[in-house]
Amino acid sequence: MANHKVTRTREFVKGLWDENAVLVSLLGLCPVLAVTNSAINGLAMGLATTFVLFSSSTIISILRKLIPHQVRIAGFIVIIATFVTIADRFLAAFYPDISDALGPYVPLIVVNCLILGRQEAFSSKNPLGRSMLDALGVGTGFIGVLVVLGSIRELLGSGSVLNFTLLGDWFAPWMVMILPPGAFLTLGFLIALSNWINERRAEA
Amino acid sequence: MNLILIFISAAIVNNFVLSYFLGICPFVGVSKQLSSAVSMGMAVTFVMTIAAAVTWLIYHLILVPFQVVILEYVAFILVIASLVQLVEMFIRKVSKPLYDTLGIYLPLITTNCAILGLALFATLREYGFIESVVYGVGAGAGFTLALVMMAGIREQLELADVPKHFQGAGITMIVAGSLALAFMGFAGLLSV
Amino acid sequence: MSTSARMIVVLTVITTLVGGLLAGWDSFTSPKIEQHRLERIRAAVEEVLPPHDQYEKVEIGGMSFYVGKSSADETVGIAFQAVGTGFQGEISMMVGVDASFAQITGVEILSQVETPGLGTKIVTDPTNKQNPDWFTDQFKDLKAVAEITAIKNQEPSGSTEVQAITGATISSKAVVDILNTTLEKAKDVYQSQKEQVL
Repeated sequence: MANHKVTRTREFVKGLWDENAVLVSLLGLCPVLAVTNSAINGLAMGLATTFVLFSSSTIISILRKLIPHQVRIAGFIVIIATFVTIADRFLAAFYPDISDALGPYVPLIVVNCLILGRQEAFSSKNPLGRSMLDALGVGTGFIGVLVVLGSIRELLGSGSVLNFTLLGDWFAPWMVMILPPGAFLTLGFLIALSNWINERRAEA
Repeated sequence: MNLILIFISAAIVNNFVLSYFLGICPFVGVSKQLSSAVSMGMAVTFVMTIAAAVTWLIYHLILVPFQVVILEYVAFILVIASLVQLVEMFIRKVSKPLYDTLGIYLPLITTNCAILGLALFATLREYGFIESVVYGVGAGAGFTLALVMMAGIREQLELADVPKHFQGAGITMIVAGSLALAFMGFAGLLSV
Repeated sequence: MSTSARMIVVLTVITTLVGGLLAGWDSFTSPKIEQHRLERIRAAVEEVLPPHDQYEKVEIGGMSFYVGKSSADETVGIAFQAVGTGFQGEISMMVGVDASFAQITGVEILSQVETPGLGTKIVTDPTNKQNPDWFTDQFKDLKAVAEITAIKNQEPSGSTEVQAITGATISSKAVVDILNTTLEKAKDVYQSQKEQVL
């Protein structure tokens, strides 16, 4: 049931840090690691995922009383897959370079446990307004992590951020950063960092 | 394409978890114990192989001839979800002990991006039917390998003095990174 | 209505709406996606042909050739697509040769699904700051014969050798094999029938 003590602002803000999908709940890791080899790819993937999350949450919240409980997962999945198809085709049609860079990871948004998780935990049980805020908050938090991860990997792996070369020729790029090991290592450090930050906040 | 090449490529050289980042959720969540890792790995391999076969049939016998390839994602995920459901019922009937061992891991396989990823990749590469199935077996084997290795390491990590903030997810990622780095050494394995 | 009936109705309605929506979206986006595909081909043709004024597409023996012409309408080069199996899946490339099929004038990879960071170096190699496209650049000025080889651990010598990419030998050799096979076929098809076409 909707918790009316939770303000509308809170519904949005909680997704940014306290209930951050990646750093706290460890959801949606597959695309996080795969397409964050540059900041722009991370941003694009974040936006695509947020689009799917927001649209799915909206529709499912509207239909929540109509979908019988037993087939809810199947229903959710079909709706999510539809929006993923829309997003995927949209990118292929209007931003083909990004579509190529993100590759097969856009369709994999379908099984991003993050999205299905939100539908199951929230939108199927909450009114439209709150569901939309929840989706936007979690999505924004997700985009945040993707962009930070992408920027770090791009900076250390290619010396640039958003294709602006920041580090000159003196910097020998750490190739490993744009390869799989770099993704895992960076995320590991980011999670440790967020744990440290949370600990400091709790003490304060 | 040589079948053995496909198998080794999927299992080792282009390991689904360590090279393609597929199946990370169970990789992090289920790799605390060796026994659960093995169970999950077996279940995933089983589902992957069947999923590879069924999605191939659906794609080539229905989606393409009727020109509704745009329904690919919707069709595939429905197939996978149903498949997992069927596999669960089947195992429960055929071998109760096995069903108990695998337990809750079975329903979790639906959202394992490795399964959908497998189906999508096989379609992308235009593999034939046998090739897709071998690809499924190889991918499952690779997934199991990565999972088992991770579980083995994590069991040892229990005894180690991990820095406070890295405990849990943090150190798991670092270990995964090291594993991925090690696996990159296989890159030249299949050079002719 | 009973739960089962309701389940079926709801799922049917959802899937029907989904089907309709996606069919519409398909017709909207497909033309644009096709446009991009053609644009890629056009860009690749421009890249691999020797300097030319314009090009035209001709179909000979089931193959498409993009014939580059000078302003005086002389053939200066020919481009064609070469497709084959790489290490991970299909590799598709555009190959350019001079008018007499004696020299290769360029190779552009159109699509591939090789190992990220290694096999993908056949397209562009970020570790080579001076010339990221060094792999395909090697093919320029090679003899247009089906005997090209990719070699390792040595400097390539002669006009039929290229350097394989370290750690991506199979991808490198795949490119060369696909090139050789298609070069042979293209030469046969084009030269045996060009009299009838031009």
